Amino acid sequence: MVVGGRGRRRGAMALRLALLTAGVVVMLLPFAYMLATSFKPNAMVLEIPLKFFPEHPTTANYVAAWTSNRFAQYFLNSVIVAIATTAAALLLSSMMAFSFARFRFPGRSLFFGLILIALMVPTMMMLIPQFLLARDLHVLDSLWGLVVFYTGGNLGFNTFLLHSFFQDIPSELDEAMIVDGASPWTRYWRLILPLSRPALATAAIFTFLASWDEFTWALTIINDPSRYTLPIAIALFQGQHSTSWGLVFAASAIAIAPVLIIFAIFQRQFVAGIASGAVKA
Amino acid sequence: MLPTRSTPSSSKASAVGARDAGPNRLSRRRRQEVLHAYLFLLPCFALFALTILYPIGRAFQISLFHWSIVPGGASDFLGLKNYQHALHDPVFWRALANTGFYMLITVPAQIVLGLLAAVLLDARMPARALFRTLYYLPVVTSWVVVSLVFRYLFITQGGLVNWILHDQLHLVAYNINWLGARWTAMTALGILGTWKGVGWSMVIFLAALQGVPKVLHEAAAVDGARAWGRFRAVSLPAIRPVVAFVTVLLVIGGFNVFISVYLMTGGGPVDQTQVLLSYMYRQAFSFLDFGYGSAISFLLTLIVFVISLAQLRLFRRPAGAS
Amino acid sequence: MSNRRLLEVLALAVLAVGLASTAAAQAKTTITFWTAYSSDGPEVKQLDSVIIPAFEKAHPGITVKDVTIPYNDLHQKLITAVAGAQLPDLVRSDIIWVPELANLGVLAPLDTTMSDFKSLSDSVFPGPLATNYWKGHYYGLPLDTNTRIWVYDPATLTKLGMGGPPTTFAELKSMAAAAKQKGVYLYAEGGTGGWNILPWIWSGGGSLTNDTYTKASGYLDGPKSVAAVQMLVDLYKAGELPNIIVNPNGGLGTYDGIFQGKYASTLDGPWMFAIFASSHPDTKLAGSMVPAGPGGSVSVVGGEDIVLTQQSKHKEAAQEFLRFMLSPFAQRQMAEAGQMPVLKSADGWLPAIHGYYDTFLKQIATAKPRTPTPKWPQIDQVMTTEIAKAFQGTETVQQALTNAAHQIDALLQ
Repeated sequence: MVVGGRGRRRGAMALRLALLTAGVVVMLLPFAYMLATSFKPNAMVLEIPLKFFPEHPTTANYVAAWTSNRFAQYFLNSVIVAIATTAAALLLSSMMAFSFARFRFPGRSLFFGLILIALMVPTMMMLIPQFLLARDLHVLDSLWGLVVFYTGGNLGFNTFLLHSFFQDIPSELDEAMIVDGASPWTRYWRLILPLSRPALATAAIFTFLASWDEFTWALTIINDPSRYTLPIAIALFQGQHSTSWGLVFAASAIAIAPVLIIFAIFQRQFVAGIASGAVKA
Repeated sequence: MLPTRSTPSSSKASAVGARDAGPNRLSRRRRQEVLHAYLFLLPCFALFALTILYPIGRAFQISLFHWSIVPGGASDFLGLKNYQHALHDPVFWRALANTGFYMLITVPAQIVLGLLAAVLLDARMPARALFRTLYYLPVVTSWVVVSLVFRYLFITQGGLVNWILHDQLHLVAYNINWLGARWTAMTALGILGTWKGVGWSMVIFLAALQGVPKVLHEAAAVDGARAWGRFRAVSLPAIRPVVAFVTVLLVIGGFNVFISVYLMTGGGPVDQTQVLLSYMYRQAFSFLDFGYGSAISFLLTLIVFVISLAQLRLFRRPAGAS
Repeated sequence: MSNRRLLEVLALAVLAVGLASTAAAQAKTTITFWTAYSSDGPEVKQLDSVIIPAFEKAHPGITVKDVTIPYNDLHQKLITAVAGAQLPDLVRSDIIWVPELANLGVLAPLDTTMSDFKSLSDSVFPGPLATNYWKGHYYGLPLDTNTRIWVYDPATLTKLGMGGPPTTFAELKSMAAAAKQKGVYLYAEGGTGGWNILPWIWSGGGSLTNDTYTKASGYLDGPKSVAAVQMLVDLYKAGELPNIIVNPNGGLGTYDGIFQGKYASTLDGPWMFAIFASSHPDTKLAGSMVPAGPGGSVSVVGGEDIVLTQQSKHKEAAQEFLRFMLSPFAQRQMAEAGQMPVLKSADGWLPAIHGYYDTFLKQIATAKPRTPTPKWPQIDQVMTTEIAKAFQGTETVQQALTNAAHQIDALLQ
């Protein structure tokens, strides 16, 4: 039943687009400023008043950032750590979520509650105890040290997300498989995981992002410059007395690119995953 | 992510397959079920316990001492004195008030604006994926970089914000000294926090709106409801659990604001814009008082816990909402 | 040769190579050196491509590994490393952290550890050397130093109709008022901490503490200190000092302001010249001494010390590198990269590298260090907070300084 006719619908759509575009402009203004500065030569001191369009645009900052002291290596380190963390976190938390979703067992509420409470503690304060632990585990100054602790830090949130999604998969499907003699591992691997692609994609994006942007822990435990990650590389462009803003912003733009690409590609899965994970919370 | 039920309902998390008759088979099946449950659980929980729970315990232990950071150094046991000190520390209360103000700005703003953007995007339209990606862009950018950019945007003379408000739109009579006074600085920080987080809540709300069954909308339309009425009667109640979920997470996030404050104002001027985490950081890493810093962080945790609990109660009250 | 013989020879060859490389590996010591040079700056380039290769050539058994850490995070990383006993061999530490680290017991006392400490310490400026002193020992040696001088844009002064920079407090006051008439701030300062205010207090004849650094009451709130701070507060109240002194993040920064001609001068270190040369080459800065008050022209010492950690397993090798960094060769290389040397003998060759070093050398001869104590961050915080209140008008200068002095007394105990 059409109320008001096509004209009104077109008008409504135009209004939508106008409002959305206005919103996008506001969201993007700081980025426009960042990008503009990244194309300015020698921007050691940010200009006031602002000039949006550089007078002599140059890609020198991007070249300098990429070829600077080992930047490509830092990029690679970040990629390795992020992928390893995402894989490990997905595997472990999906297993734990499966356990919460499909089984009853003593201590279940306790485990669940502990994960919940741990989410509320600020990570900053765990820095020293975690450092001492990493030292005792001999994973200091290594990419392993990053992967282990990043994975641990992502288990809580991912488990909640996946658990909620798993619960909505009808248990009749499980029972059909059990009648056929399937073990829990088979149910997990052949039934639950394939049906949970959106949720897994969501968890993957969140975990990748968290690992990609993490700075404090990486800076704390890594001493060998060949193992630095991208956020440290960007921070190094900030000097004691001045900052090469053009370099900082060019490097940041390079750093944003992979996450944005992943998000753009997996958007649909991502949104579907959020839908199920969050709506059914 | 917090479930609205404190334990998953037993109907869903059924002990799948444990319905066979006979006491012997039942207990054997039960034992097997428990064994399987632990097998799936323990690798993950072990890592979690090691890297998260154990450090939390240590941090709590540290909070009970005047902790010496030198290995083997003597630490005085203080019991709860660090906590008492915090409760009598005016800067602590000011930090708490600032954190609260920050949340008063960012939480409703992210919900309202996120919902608005989601509603606008909840239609078949050109470039929807593009809009989604662009709105999400601030979320994936590092806090360090955006904090530094925003510091320059809010500079009193010549910063973009004042340039727009004062020089171009003439909305204000004089250049607002944003980062120079407590409440304007906290507002600037709140604007940064909102800008950075709107995309996140938008994506979640959009997904939720798209999950509302079309039949409900059609039924309401048949009853003569217009767009706003349909929204209020159908969409809002349907996404209520999502709003609860988002609110709780935004509150936790709001309490944990740190880098933006650290880089934009440094807690100043004169400690006016300290938030709980920036104050804790200074106590621990500048003044080397880790015991006190730890105590502040646990007080923060306690407050977050209480507020989250209250929120969940609040959102659960209306009938049939869970 | 028979196959068996061939095999034996090969085995011996492999063994020989293996032994040789192990021996070589054992003979090579690697020492780690943490710094906070910026990764794209000239200092790191000098260090990595000139100084370290020269050192390794002269000392074939030692490899030096330098690690750059962002300055803003170096302190936190040091503290964490202390907690985990993971410190490197050598650190280029900001001078204000040395007493704190010494107090934690993680630094080696160089005056007893190095046999040639006396000759090394005699060769460096006394002000920077004093920053290494803690409870009877010296826990490091200065590596590079700096101080704040009056940096100004002569072109702006010419526009204001002024012939040159102020040389006394009286000239400062009159010139600041004249500059205000023309809509320019003669002087801009970006904070109320020790680094910002102490040059004025000392030049005014006052001081922060007594000579043994045990008491602030009577010194920080003494009449000369109060008068010096009062002078700045009066300038601020008359609108002749920009608001960034109370609100460092809320206004036009000193560099931006000088570039735009809104500020004529500030106090800053040698890096300012290098930064402007690179980013604003059209602005030709000049330097002069801090305007003299009743106490003369006295500025504040900044810079970095090089310290050796107690847990270092290669103290001898590390000391060799330390000596090398203090040699005229290394100091001169770093001077070309904008790092002011600490050697007294630099008087002879430094001004030839950059003209402005002349003024810096004169200024550093009388410059004083900030109070060398582990509690300096707290003391600095007290100063910043209380003195800002005087500027904001919520307290008189005397009240603010007396409050600060009381709090600092407690911290000095």
